[in-house]
Amino acid sequence: MSDFIQPIPEAIDLYEEGDLNSLDITQLGEYLQEKTYIPFRIRGNVYKRFSKKRIEKTSRELAGIRVRDHGKRLVSGPPFQAEVDYEKRRISDPGWKIFGILYEGILYQKIISDLVIKGGLDLKHCIIFFTNQLFGTWNWDNGRYHARVSLYGFPSLISITGLVEAPAKPKDFYLKKQMGRPVAWLKEEYQGRFLDHGDLRTTEVLKGYAMQALFFHLTGDPFCEDRDCRLFNSHWQEEVLHSQLNGRHDFCPRHDSILNQLRGRDR
Amino acid sequence: MGDLDGRIREMAEKKHIFTPVSEKEVTRAIVDAFARQFIEYVESDCLIIGGGPSGLMAGRDIASKGVKTLIVERNHYIGGGFWIGGYLMNKVTVREPGQKILEELGIPYEKAVKGLYVADGPHACSKLIAAACDAGVKFANMTIFDDVVLREGNRVCGAVVNWTPVNALPREITCVDPIALESKFVVDSTGHDACVVKKLEERGILKTIGFGAMWVEQSEDLVVEHTGEAHPGLIVTGMAVATTYGLPRMGPTFGAMLLSGRKGAQVILEKMKKK
Repeated sequence: MSDFIQPIPEAIDLYEEGDLNSLDITQLGEYLQEKTYIPFRIRGNVYKRFSKKRIEKTSRELAGIRVRDHGKRLVSGPPFQAEVDYEKRRISDPGWKIFGILYEGILYQKIISDLVIKGGLDLKHCIIFFTNQLFGTWNWDNGRYHARVSLYGFPSLISITGLVEAPAKPKDFYLKKQMGRPVAWLKEEYQGRFLDHGDLRTTEVLKGYAMQALFFHLTGDPFCEDRDCRLFNSHWQEEVLHSQLNGRHDFCPRHDSILNQLRGRDR
Repeated sequence: MGDLDGRIREMAEKKHIFTPVSEKEVTRAIVDAFARQFIEYVESDCLIIGGGPSGLMAGRDIASKGVKTLIVERNHYIGGGFWIGGYLMNKVTVREPGQKILEELGIPYEKAVKGLYVADGPHACSKLIAAACDAGVKFANMTIFDDVVLREGNRVCGAVVNWTPVNALPREITCVDPIALESKFVVDSTGHDACVVKKLEERGILKTIGFGAMWVEQSEDLVVEHTGEAHPGLIVTGMAVATTYGLPRMGPTFGAMLLSGRKGAQVILEKMKKK
């Protein structure tokens, strides 16, 4: 029986927004193609094709999905004009560097979906959207928002800022920060034990997250329980570094066999 | 030195070092100087609520262009949290490019690590206060913000203030009505409290969001990016920006306070030019 619940996509479309300097998107696309034999297409900045009117609309939508209180589920209200103006400046500048606002992830996905998918669900393309912005999802268990590296769906969202901010750093790091030690000093002390903004390892690490997006598209399950597999769902920075860079293998035998199946398909 | 010692001895022999002045003259001098300034500044071009780093920076930049500027501060001391860094340690940090403002103000600093600079809190704060004074900013300290003055279209055109001690006592003892100050622009530089913005919220004119709990490296950038006019006539600077727009908390660094104050000043100066 096939592991695939969807038809194999004709192409993997890679979209982006904001400053993604630490990500070599071509190298990442080549990796996906080599692993799956599915061609990739770099589609560039997601907002570039849209009119001023549409940018205005999208800016207002984005300003309305900011998570202000991480302990309360978002109730969307009319945003301030200053927030709409900020979003307009942000999405009109493809090299925008500033991040830090937490957006409601599911609604962010919906906004991006409306921009990249026309006329219903597109299963012929696996769409992956890379952003330097931060998004989170509501956790019903502890009643608060959690920042996320990725949100898989149609399209899948991957945040390079989330990669730094979402998986937890070593516990001592936070204790020392609470005691008032400057973060810059802590970064020196814990150098190499977590990913930082502009980290040279970003592209290599994100290859695994992009593969998770593709597995979600194909099988409905992006994750693996094997911490040596690149599909491992990491919650700690140390787990991210292990599964993506230092694992015993790229993919566990089960997922490797699915990739073999994919590469051996009739094309 | 010999000459000075001689003069002091000579004056002591005359029984006076300082010129004899009666108590009533001292009182008259205080009241007269205070009243003249107060009467003049009952109406100003720019009224800044809060004398912390962002308010001082905004005031300094605005007043240096010849704009009549008054800073209202609820404490007797000016400077807010700029005297002290994190955890009661009196070293303040700024991230690149905040050190350029330190240079401009003649505040000595040293590099901590790449992109992070540290200065002596008392030195930095006193220099910033002095720069604001030198630029022509006047102060009403021990004065607490009570309410906003609104005009047509709910434009903010001033503030209602009172003595801080009056506000601190029970109302049964101190039925002292506040007074109003008028201004073309009001700046909310009251830190996390965002007192002016909150007052508009109380009146149902504006809705604040409250600052977020999350800490991210870029919150300083976001504060500067969101600095500006939040409501007609009301400019928000510093940490009040974070409260107004629900931006993430930031660590004990001051670069954003200085740059936000500067941006607030630019916004006001541009609006004045257009008028």
